[in-house]
This record gives sequence, structure tokens and C-alpha cells, in this order.
Amino acid sequence: MNFKRTVQAASLLFFLALLLLAAFPLKTWFPTDFFLRLDPLVFTGTLISSREWVSALAPGLIIILLTLVLGRFFCAYICPMGITLDISDRVFRPRYNNSFLSPEKSHGLRRVKFWILFFILGTAIVGVSTVFLGSPLSLITRFYGLVIYPLAVHILDLGLDSLFFFYSALGLERLAYIEFQTPRFATQVFVLLFFAAVFSLVLLSPRFWCRYLCPSGAVLALFSVRPLLRRTVSSSCTECGLCQSKCPMQAIEPDPARTRHQECIVCEECVRICPEKAITFAPGFRQADRPAPYWPQRRRVLASVLGGMGTALLLQTGVREVRSDTAPGNLASKFLIRPPGALLEEDFLGRCIRCGQCMKACPTNPLQPVWFESGILGLFSPKILPRRGPCEPLCNICGQVCPTGAIRSLPVLEKTWARMGTAHVLREKCLAWAWDRKCLVCFEVCPYAALELRRVPDISIPVPFVLLDKCAGCGACEFHCPVQAESAVVVEPMNSLRLNKGSYIEEGRAQGMSLEADPDREREPPEDILTEEDSPEALPPGFNY
Amino acid sequence: MSKKKTVFDKNPLFSRSFMSRREFLKAQGGIAVFMAASGVGIMNWPEKARAEDYPDIALSTGVPDQATRTSVELLGGMSSFVNSGDRVVIKPNMSFAHTPDRATNTHPEVVRALAQMCVQAGASRVLVLDNTLHSAERCLELSGIRQACSGISGTEVLALSSARFFQEVELPGALNFRRTDIMRQVLQADVLIAAPVAKSHSATGVSLSMKGMMGLIRNRGVMHSRYNLNEAIVDLCTFLRADLTVVDASRVLSSHGPHGPGEVIRGDIVLASRDMVAADAKTVDLFPWYGRSIRPEQVAHIRIAHERGLGRMDIENLDIRTVEA
Repeated sequence: MNFKRTVQAASLLFFLALLLLAAFPLKTWFPTDFFLRLDPLVFTGTLISSREWVSALAPGLIIILLTLVLGRFFCAYICPMGITLDISDRVFRPRYNNSFLSPEKSHGLRRVKFWILFFILGTAIVGVSTVFLGSPLSLITRFYGLVIYPLAVHILDLGLDSLFFFYSALGLERLAYIEFQTPRFATQVFVLLFFAAVFSLVLLSPRFWCRYLCPSGAVLALFSVRPLLRRTVSSSCTECGLCQSKCPMQAIEPDPARTRHQECIVCEECVRICPEKAITFAPGFRQADRPAPYWPQRRRVLASVLGGMGTALLLQTGVREVRSDTAPGNLASKFLIRPPGALLEEDFLGRCIRCGQCMKACPTNPLQPVWFESGILGLFSPKILPRRGPCEPLCNICGQVCPTGAIRSLPVLEKTWARMGTAHVLREKCLAWAWDRKCLVCFEVCPYAALELRRVPDISIPVPFVLLDKCAGCGACEFHCPVQAESAVVVEPMNSLRLNKGSYIEEGRAQGMSLEADPDREREPPEDILTEEDSPEALPPGFNY
Repeated sequence: MSKKKTVFDKNPLFSRSFMSRREFLKAQGGIAVFMAASGVGIMNWPEKARAEDYPDIALSTGVPDQATRTSVELLGGMSSFVNSGDRVVIKPNMSFAHTPDRATNTHPEVVRALAQMCVQAGASRVLVLDNTLHSAERCLELSGIRQACSGISGTEVLALSSARFFQEVELPGALNFRRTDIMRQVLQADVLIAAPVAKSHSATGVSLSMKGMMGLIRNRGVMHSRYNLNEAIVDLCTFLRADLTVVDASRVLSSHGPHGPGEVIRGDIVLASRDMVAADAKTVDLFPWYGRSIRPEQVAHIRIAHERGLGRMDIENLDIRTVEA
């Protein structure tokens, strides 16, 4: 195992460990979104689209600055996308076909990543974040968090399942009682197909993504025109051409002494394979080694930026694009329940990089990637699907693991007031309302005591009503409702409390809310529902005759 | 089996036509033949005379731990329920992530006392089981039950919900709700102890030992949606018939149960019985519910259970003894 592989393995394991640790309750002081914050595109794109300095993303800037000295080391040693591609390239690399892309084609394709970069930055100028389209950290976090992680848990659970009797027989009951709840996610097939496509590009060239497509790599390429640490070839070179054919980034010119530093990721593969030991990476100042820097053509850059801006502006005219304002005519999908603490919708979409870390971390699995419910600009952003799981009132993990602050990191008490929506009872489906069935599970499970039972004429049992001022939209009622298919009590994003700054408690109180969800706290019993006197109806709820 | 007395010993009117969890276990153990042969014998068990010394319901006042021990003692002590080597399942209420003062979960001292008594009586394994409504981890933690039972040998407090812990069984004594998934550990247990807290319930009036059995199955939802809930509870209890019921009425959630917050009455009582229905009926009778006195027959599942011969709600005819712990 050479130096590169060792560092790569350490980086990838660290990345995966942090992803695993992004769970409730958070068990580490170390930021679990560390790798996401290193992404130079996340830094640049979010800086522009949010029009704010997001200090949490400063590590991305540090990577850019380090690139001035060390070259694109990030791509070879840190980026989990690049490392994953190195692994998948080894697996899927065609054995008998080494006729990869011709140098001419390759040279032309390299520009694509700049176009992608400037397109993304163009949308950011309009205030729309399309970082998620190309940010390698966003993509790879989505891949591991929403596809690989659930698969691993599922396999582990099935393994425990099939070995259950084995454990029991051995008396290892503690082991046997471990339960894994397999998280399940929407759009995982799409994420998988995307990665299948990216992996299969090895048929054209190794690290195809990094060479030609990656916009983060493009950012770094702009800053690695003349890095301090650079490839130097001594006079013992016999021009055998081995390094040229083995360079994963095709960064070596026809003259093997000359290097395209913007493409070089400092992996030092050439150093290791050179039979003459003619290559070193050392601080270099000589002008002669350096080919003319490649700057993307001004016209192309302008076209990409304008293309991005135009696309974003055009998409903003789509009828399904969601706005924060509540004026008539603004279509808000009834399914689009944002996680608690999400910024105002426009700002939320300007910040969210769709990494899926919140979805991975959420302990009850209601957070799901949106497909097209909020238009194309909302693709992969998180929404709450209460039927899948309720939002735990005393959990605030989604805000804690969000790298960009699209979901605010709130203290638990503040979070319980960050209202997501409002539940309402579908009386035509409700067992109590429609069928006189004793159920009232919603009343039982509501952590906010937002459901009240009242007697109404013509129904023999008390029926549930939602108290507007107490409902936080957590979805416990919708999740637990025993009515099949669509729940008979459903949460809609109506009256959600979205604040970019300030206290949810203060604002909630001002709006007349009373969202006390701390189960340990003494609460006054809700108003009694008794009718007076000894008529049969006068019995408390649940009793008969 | 030899030491256990049920209401059937006393009242031949009650049919024994249905197979309970216990018989299921025996049948699984391949001694169904033995059971069939001894079926008649149960009525005339030689120790019957001794059983007469024990009350139908033992009621003890005092702090939870002591009251639990005293009430079980009055019924003949734990060793009349648990034989050496038995596997015991205790079913408390621990479905809510609440602290004991909310009276939504069984008092941890009651569960601890029961577990300790079982171990003393020779139980090889004591499992405290529930399929919780709130997050399992938080329920085990906040209810205080896991903490209280830690350190008791052979005892585990578990909240199980994964499919692999459940097995589908027929409920032969059921009328409507005739099959369901029940925790394997319960099916394999020699002794089942119901240890509910006394609390009101918006849909079933009260939630006591019988309603509590819903915590041992996987899919409770259908009991609400597909069946009459009260009938379904009785159907379930024909199978999950507790050998011993200990109702924790140290605190009583007398209104706005099962979740509360509601009015919490200090009951300072623990009552025990071999008969789930009688225990539940007496608990209903003992306390006001929503400030009113309620008769056992006003709780539909208690009335139905009585009518179907699962136990007795006519507490005025039962031998009830009270003692101060």
C-alpha cells in the first residue's frame, strides 16, 4: 500500500465514519458535515446564491488556498468521490480495451467541467442553488447516505434475522435483540442510475468525472495554474511514455517533461512507475516546465454564466416553483413539508445543496428527497413524509448536520416551536367520525396534546379535533393512524413557521401558538370534555352505557 | 401448572374451550396429549383446598415496592406462579417516553419487585417486554424501568418491534380477531405476568391488564380499524391470558389517558389477581374516572370478557383481601 492509497483509505473511512455518526443523538463534537464543507464548489456556489458569508463553509476556501501551493491534491487524497471512482475504476475497467479517448477529444472534453461550473455559478447569481448538480461531495454523500447505507442496514438486519435462532441457541441474546430499522428513501433508483452512469464512464477513460465533468475540480483547476509543489522531470528521462499512458488525469503533455498542472492531481502515479526514477514532486520555480495555462474562453464562460442565469430565471416562472409568501396564487404543494428550522423557501433552496445528510441523520426516517413536487429547482431537497415516520419533538439533528445552514441548527426547545405544518382530520375516513369506531390513536400519540376529543351530535363516541394553536405538524398522528392507505389525519404545510433569524418561541407565542412538547414537563390537563348530568352521553370517553 | 389456580377451578360454568398461550406452548412442546388427558383433572386438582385460602384479589396499600410484594404474597407468593427454571415474561406499560409521575407507565419499583420475586422463585429468565408507541430507547430510559431492573440476574428489559421477534399464531378462542403476530418470547414463556399501570383510556375507558396485552403484538392498528376494538381485546386475551395480574395503582391516571397529561390520583395501592378480568374490574371500581364512579360493566372489554367466560367482573361476589404493606 503506497502513500496515496493509505491516505485515500483513511479519507474514505473517515468520511464514512462521519456519515454514520450523523445520527440522533449526535455522539461527536467533530462536525459530521466536515467533508461537505471542504468542497470548493459548495463554498463558492453557496456564497453567491445565498449572498451571505457562511463561515461554516470556510474550509472550502482553505482548500482553494492550499491548492495554490499544493495543486489539486484534494481530488486525489481527500475527495470521497474521487476515491470512490478510483475503486470503481479498478473494478469496472475494461481489460482488453485500452484505446481510451484520443488526446484531441480529451483536450476538448476538459472544457466541459468549466462550462458546468460557470453554469452553476450563473444560477447562483440569480439566487438559485444548483450546486447539487455537480458538487462531488453532495453527490457522493447522497450516494452513500441514501443508497448504500440503507442497503447495508437492510442486509445487516436480514443477517441478524436469519441468524436469530443461532444466537438464541448460543445464549447470545443481547446480540439477538439488536434491532435495525432500515431507512427507506425516495429517488434512490435515480441516484443509483446516475452513479451507474458515472462509474461506467471508465469505459471511456479512468476518472472521467474528475477529468471532464467535475465543477469542483474546475474551481481548483483555476487555482492550480502554477502551484508551488509541482511535477519535475530530470534529465535521466528516456521519454518512454509510460507516465503519459498511466496518468489517471492525462495531465502529461506529449513532451513528458511538461505537465498540465491544472489537470494534475498530485497523485504521484508517474513518480512510482517511472523506470528511470526521473520524476519528483518538488517546489519548482522554473518557467520552462510550464505549459501555457488553460483559461476557459471568455466567450464560453459568458455563455455558460448567462445560460445558468437564463435557465434559473426561466425555471422560476414555472407554476410549481414554491415561494415563501402566502399571497393568493402561490401554489404550495400540500406534500411539501419542510424540516423544522428550514429557512424561508427561496433562501432554503438557495442554501440547500441536497447532500441528503439530514435525511440520513433523521432517526425516524420521514425526511425524504423531493422529486418534482416543488418544481425542478427543488429536486432532491428534503421534505417530511409523516406517513413514513413522525418528527421527534426533542430531536434537532437535521439542523445540526446541515452543512450550509439551510436548516437552522436550533436548541431543542426552539426546535419544538419550529412548526412544520398543521394536521387536519379527514372526517370521511376517520374511524371515529365516519364509522363510530373506538380508535382515537391520534389523541393518544400526539406529543403536543394538540388533539381534543369532543362530543358531536349523532356520533356515539367522542371524535378528534385538531387544536390549531397546539399543532406543530410533527405528523405523529398521521404516522400512527391505523386507517389504511392515506391516513385519516394528515399534515399539510399550512401555517408552518419559517424564520431566517430570531426566536421561534417568541414568534410562535406572538402568533398565539402554544407548542410545549417536553413530555417531562407538568402540563395542565386539557379542558374536560364531559357533558353534564347522568344522561348516557355523560360518561367519560371510552365508557359505555 | 400444578400450582396455578384460575377462576376456572372455582367456577365450572366457565368454559375452557379455548386454547390459551399456555396450551399453545404445551402443544408446541409436543405434550398436547398430556394436556388433553389432564384437562379434566384440572378441575379436581388435589391442592384445590389450599387455593381456597387465597383471595381472588389481593389488595395492598403502601409504597410500590412493598405493596407489590405483599399483594403477591397474599396470593400465595411468587413461587405459586413461577417454578424453578421457568421463563417469565412481564408486560408492564412502558409505551410512553414519560417519567413515572405522569402515570402513563408502570412504576419502575413495581416491575423491579416482580422481576426480583420471579428470580427468587427460580425463574431462569425474566423478560420485561413491550412494543412501545414512542421511541423505544427513550421509553426504556425515561420510564425508569430499564434502570430499575438493571443488575437483576437473568432479567432483560426490551422494547421489540422488528418482524423477526414476532410469530403469527391463530387465536383459537377468538370470535373476530383470529390471528396475529405475537412476540416469540411470549409464546415461549412459561409464565406471563401482566403489570399494567392504572389509567384511563379515551377509546376503551380504561387501559389495564387486558388492554395492555396489545403491547405484545406487532400490528395493533388492525384492532382499531378492522375490528371492534373492545371485542378484539377480549379475543387477544383469550390467548394472552396472564397467569398473574399485578395492577400498579400507586398513581392513577384518572383522566385523559392513555397519553395524558391528565389528573393523576395518588392511589398507593397495588392489587394482584390470578384473574385479569377481576383485577381490571376491581381497579375500575376503586377509583373515580374523570371524577365519576364507573361500574366495571361500563367498560366494554371487561363486560365482554366476563360474558365470554374469560374471568369475572362481579367483584361483589369475589373474595377480596386488603392488607397494609
